[in-house]
Amino acid sequence: MDEFARLPDEVNELLNSFVSQPAIQTEHITITQYSLAMFIAVAILLVVLFVFKKKQSASLVPKGRFVNGVEYVIEFAKKDLAQDMLHSSWRQHFPFIATVFFFILINNLLGLIPGFHPGTGTIGVTLALALISFLYFIYVGIKKAGALGYIKSLMPKGVPFPMNIMVWVIELFSTFLRLITLSVRLFCNMFAGHVVMGTFAILASLFIERFAQGVTLEAFTGAGISILWLLVLIAIYIVEMLVAAIQAYVFTLLTSVYIQIAEED
Amino acid sequence: MGVIGYGIGVIGAGLGIGIAAYGATTAMARQPEIQGRLFTVFILASAFVEALALIGFVVSLLA
Repeated sequence: MDEFARLPDEVNELLNSFVSQPAIQTEHITITQYSLAMFIAVAILLVVLFVFKKKQSASLVPKGRFVNGVEYVIEFAKKDLAQDMLHSSWRQHFPFIATVFFFILINNLLGLIPGFHPGTGTIGVTLALALISFLYFIYVGIKKAGALGYIKSLMPKGVPFPMNIMVWVIELFSTFLRLITLSVRLFCNMFAGHVVMGTFAILASLFIERFAQGVTLEAFTGAGISILWLLVLIAIYIVEMLVAAIQAYVFTLLTSVYIQIAEED
Repeated sequence: MGVIGYGIGVIGAGLGIGIAAYGATTAMARQPEIQGRLFTVFILASAFVEALALIGFVVSLLA
């Protein structure tokens, strides 16, 4: 089984392809493969939304699969992500929450197309997204209680004097930790999923290469093993489709939970 | 060594997801009417646990 001996080199090559590289390079601007995927995702999102708006306003009753499908996803985001979490003030925060949700969702799904890298598969994009939602919920908290009031509201009520200072420090620390957990969760999910899928794709392609030496019994066993790896790859691909949707959901859900916590105090 | 370390680390994440799924299914069996709300909490909890395993995966690849 010298195929397994060749695996580490191939995986290293795969990992190198995940490092940001210029995909489009001109004199002044360089666009990495991740930025390119992100731009394509935003373009797709805009086209879908404009076509949806045009088709929706064509008739009073929503007609056709496309309009109903988009409406279903928006209704889902409205109910599960905004109304259930934020209750009365959901209307005010829904534009922000929906923007984050659809941006991440389209990026994650675009990354599933073979050959594409997801826009969210790099720590730069996810950290920027986490920073935006971090600033947003800090802004909501400050608008609600004032700068000093928000910092003070992190201190729990009803805790005796020396302990509440300690709890306050821990709470402040964990508030800043949200920035890291939000970004690292999304990044790791996308990165790890693609590395696992890539590894199984490499295994499938390594075993089928035995045919290059001639059609022998060994080549046919290689093809059999290759089909086995391919089945595993398909299973992981289905799981990754689920993960792409769930991670967009989790990121947005946590954002709205944080907004709700900031607003509540 | 890194792979062995990752294997040990994943035990914790596996236990965590198992306990979360156990709790969710038991609660759903007792009270099917709050299934939707429970599912949201379950997904959130398993996302927290899963993140630990994935951080381990990425760190073992990078280190």
